[in-house]
Amino acid sequence: MFAALYAPSLPAAALVDVARAFTPRFEQLGAALGNTVVLLDASGLSRLFGSAQELGEHLRDALSKLSPGDSLPRVAIASTQTAATLLALGSPGLTVVMPGKEAIALSSLSVSVLDTFERLTEPLEKAEGKRQKAEGNTAHKGDLDETGGWHHPRSTHQASRGKRRAPENRVLEILTKWGIRSLGALTELSGPEIHERLGERGALWQSLARGVDSRPMVPWVDEIPFEAALELEWPIEGLEPLSFVLARLLEPLAERLERADRGAAVLYTSLRLTSRTVFTRTLQLPAPMRDPKTLRTLILLDLESHPPDAPIDIVRVYIEPTPAKVLQWTLLERAQPAPEQVSTLIARLTALMGEGHVGSPLLVDTWRPGAFQMSDFGSRISDISTIQSSNNPRSEIRDPTSSASLKSALRRFRFPIPTRVTVSEGRPVRVQTDRQGFTSGAIVQAAGPWRTSGNWWDTPGPRQKGESGSAAWDRDEWDVAMNDGTVYRLVVEREVGQWFLEGVID
Amino acid sequence: MAGKAAVEALLRDRKLDRTLTSTLPDRLGEDAVSPLDTEALDRGLAGGLPRGQVSEVVGPASSGRTSVAWTALAAATRRGESVALIDTFDRFDPPTAHACGMDLSKLLWVRGQAVSKTSGAIDPAWLPGVRAVTGPGTFIERVIDRAIKSLNLVVQSGVCTLVVIDLIDLPATALRRLPASTWFRVERAIEGSDTAVLILASMPVARSAGGRSIVMGDSPARGTTPGNECSPPASVIWKGDHDRSRRLAGVSSQAGITAARWAHAARVDVSTTVFNAV
Repeated sequence: MFAALYAPSLPAAALVDVARAFTPRFEQLGAALGNTVVLLDASGLSRLFGSAQELGEHLRDALSKLSPGDSLPRVAIASTQTAATLLALGSPGLTVVMPGKEAIALSSLSVSVLDTFERLTEPLEKAEGKRQKAEGNTAHKGDLDETGGWHHPRSTHQASRGKRRAPENRVLEILTKWGIRSLGALTELSGPEIHERLGERGALWQSLARGVDSRPMVPWVDEIPFEAALELEWPIEGLEPLSFVLARLLEPLAERLERADRGAAVLYTSLRLTSRTVFTRTLQLPAPMRDPKTLRTLILLDLESHPPDAPIDIVRVYIEPTPAKVLQWTLLERAQPAPEQVSTLIARLTALMGEGHVGSPLLVDTWRPGAFQMSDFGSRISDISTIQSSNNPRSEIRDPTSSASLKSALRRFRFPIPTRVTVSEGRPVRVQTDRQGFTSGAIVQAAGPWRTSGNWWDTPGPRQKGESGSAAWDRDEWDVAMNDGTVYRLVVEREVGQWFLEGVID
Repeated sequence: MAGKAAVEALLRDRKLDRTLTSTLPDRLGEDAVSPLDTEALDRGLAGGLPRGQVSEVVGPASSGRTSVAWTALAAATRRGESVALIDTFDRFDPPTAHACGMDLSKLLWVRGQAVSKTSGAIDPAWLPGVRAVTGPGTFIERVIDRAIKSLNLVVQSGVCTLVVIDLIDLPATALRRLPASTWFRVERAIEGSDTAVLILASMPVARSAGGRSIVMGDSPARGTTPGNECSPPASVIWKGDHDRSRRLAGVSSQAGITAARWAHAARVDVSTTVFNAV
């Protein structure tokens, strides 16, 4: 048994409040449209409010108290949610339908009520998308294919003419042209022929006109923020006592996340210190997770790197939830590490090595030698397509000969080492460096120069040349072999004429 | 003889047969190794780098030691495995590694601190006294200390199936000062797991009982030609006859592969190709 409430003069919140007073199981339809119907699950309410008729009167009275004098609220009770909603939209006052009599009760309603019903029940994202599209580009308003992709063979010209009149619904327009005015007339049409002419959507409309439910009810869930706080009797110092406090806060939050099938996407830790300042840390998690031990470890490792400068009075944790990640692993490939494992490892390594020293390298679109960016390790680790593309990789580079052919590695000095180079006839012939562990002496063979330059167009004027922010480069590269067999890559900065040791071919 | 058999049977019962000095198989099972996808090296290694063991690649500069390590990393990433590189002195070059076939998204790169003469270029967090990381006072020692700690964290997590630690530019004295217990701890952490650890160094450091040692630069042709000090080393391969058209093509070397209980070292010719050579 379902009850539907519709009162155009009342705000949606008032309808929700009335529904909440009767049952915790209710659904708000059309929240995005501002034209709200609230649907109640009336099963089991007879012991509290009596028969369906009495329940309807109670609901009507509750709404009447809130409504202005001249507008009457609409209440409908039926055994299906579709019938209750359509009756609330189409019939004034209180309507109570006995089970099995839905089609008869609905038969007198206008067919246009199905259009309103469809708008109310379509998913929120779809409704928002349609509204934004309509607002953003009114010229393309008519491009919305309201028939769900169906086109009548003869309707192209008519449709284009209709679009100029901006029809709201193609199915409704076609039914009107056929002379179908009521739901009763729609139900009398042949089902297969409706399907043949109007497609799935036409068949659905006919089913709705009989009062048949097309989807289950989705009860309202109060959104309680995933937040927990604890005010301490005595200020705490150090991370060890804080870990116990965090465990007490995070375990209930993790349980709630699990019940809601959510994972933590962002973790906010707010500490009010005895110095009356609030110390806040934000952790962006690479994958949704809800293991309380992992979350606690991540917070503690982050605080280890960024400790608060005073004892803590109040600890507050806020979790930004996100739908839990569902991954289907393949049975034929090696199992990937769990996101919790990876996150904990990265947090530990970052605490040890510092920010920017841990991650995966990412190539950038530039010709600058050695250019790269750091990205989060693990963010792309579960890319199934990558795993699948690595099937049977060994066949690619098998070398059947007795010798192994490899690609040369370049060991790049992140800070190029300044060197003194003797040049003869335009070629380097001797290298001298003060740095221990590097070969100095005569160059036995050299290849070059390989000249590259770039980003000079970004430099506004000569004054900024040489500043740290200048990204321009202009240089010559030389590959040189030393007496002991070591192969260096030498670089000369052409602007200043300074030689550097950039790397070793190894 | 009967007594020996009884002792061996007893050790096997107690699952202590790892200590037996029986001969190693010619080729380990496919799941027990991390192949380099290079036939000659894999054959020399009896299948690849053994999992659950510490192996090492050593050799002088430009002998191809880093190329071998990157080849192992690239092969593992192509199989979809996650790998780690503990880059003690921040020497890794991502564009070159990508050209070697490495899937960089599968690489956990732990960057140490590059050594520079100018202290302004060093991250202040690495200077002594700034961070609450205990350890000896000198900068180099702190860098090594953090690299070893990183290695322990990575192998204990079990996230990566191949972990390479780059100790090449470590001074020999500092390398010798590393206590042997460092490597015992690593061996213990990966024992029985599918993680292989590879130490990249200029001189032999450590290797577990089932690990391999790859010694690069064993080629007799390497070095200068006697009597002509300024002639190019035989191991460097150049292309082009003229000074203006000459370019570096690669380096050829020889790898000697040894392991415990192997009577003779396997020898493999290794040639590397510079990735931008046409």
